[in-house]
Amino acid sequence: MAVLLVLVMAGLLAWRSRETPDERAIRDRLDTLRAEVNSSTKDGLGTAVRAAQIGSYFTEDAVVELGEGSVPIKGRETLMGMVARLQPRTAAFRMDLDDVTIEIVSGGDTADVLLTASFVRRSISTGEESLDAREYALVMTKAGGSWQIARITAIDTFR
Amino acid sequence: MSLTRRIVFGRDPRRTAVRVLVLASLSFIIFKWVLIPIRAEGISMQPTYQSGSLNLVNRLAYKYRKPDRGDIVGIKLAGPHVLYVKRIIGLPGERVSIAQGQVYINGAPLDEPYVRNRRGWDIQEVTLTSREYFVIGDNRGMRAADHDFGRVDVSRILGRVIF
Repeated sequence: MAVLLVLVMAGLLAWRSRETPDERAIRDRLDTLRAEVNSSTKDGLGTAVRAAQIGSYFTEDAVVELGEGSVPIKGRETLMGMVARLQPRTAAFRMDLDDVTIEIVSGGDTADVLLTASFVRRSISTGEESLDAREYALVMTKAGGSWQIARITAIDTFR
Repeated sequence: MSLTRRIVFGRDPRRTAVRVLVLASLSFIIFKWVLIPIRAEGISMQPTYQSGSLNLVNRLAYKYRKPDRGDIVGIKLAGPHVLYVKRIIGLPGERVSIAQGQVYINGAPLDEPYVRNRRGWDIQEVTLTSREYFVIGDNRGMRAADHDFGRVDVSRILGRVIF
C-alpha cells in the first residue's frame, strides 16, 4: 500500500516536472536574470556593468509594456539606461518569479512565457517589507543558442 | 526494545513507518492541491486579515457551488503561488458602483459590517458580465489608488479563504 502510494507520488512528480531542453533553458535563463537583478549593487560591480549584464537578457529591439498610463520602453539601450538609473535604489529590493509557464511556438525559436513577478521592497528606515506582484506575458526568442526577452507585457488581474 | 525507541518507533516500527509515509503523502496532497497555505502581505484586507497572517485557501470550495457575496477568495495571477486575497461584493450580471465610500449593488447600498474606516472612494457604475465578479479589500481607509480591486474573471478565483 505504502510502496504503491510512493510510486504514484513519484510518477506524478515526474509527470509534472517533464520539460523539453528549451523549456529548461528558458527557466534557467529567467532564474539567472532574477539572481542578477537581486544581486544588484551588492557584488561591487559598477552600475554600467550591471546594466549591461541585465541588458544582455533582452533583444536589441525589446519592448516593455507596463500597462495603462505607462509609456512603453523600447529598445535595449533605453532599458539599460533605466536599469542603471534605478540601481542605487535596488539594494532594498528583491524580485521573485513564480508560476512560470512556457510554451514553445514558431518552430522552436520563439516562446510565450507567463509568470508572476513579485517585487519586495524593504523600507530602509523601518525595515518593513511591502510586496507588489503582477502577472506578465513574455515573448522570448532564441538567437545563437541563447534565449532573450523580446517583449514584456503586464497583464491586469483586475479590470 | 528500549523505552525511547518504543516511543519513537512504536510497538511495530514497520507499521509506524507506513503510518508516517501515508500521513506525509496525505499532507503533501492536501496542502498542494486542496488547502493552499498562504501568507497575507499588505494591509488591503485589514482589519479582517493582518499583514503576515497565515491562511488557507480551499480549492474545492466552489466545486459544487458558485462564489457568493461576502466570500473572501484567493485570486490567482499567473498561477497559484502568488494570490490576491479579496472579498466578493458583486456577482455576475450585477451593477456595482461606489459613491463616497459606499458600495451600491444595482443601485441599493450594500451593508458591509466588516469595513471599519471609509474614505470617499468614487467608482463609476460597471455592469458585470456573466463570468465576472467584483472583488475588493476590506480596508477602505486607504487611498483607492493604493488598493487593487475591480472586476475579475471567474477563472481567476482559485478558492475560498477559510481560515
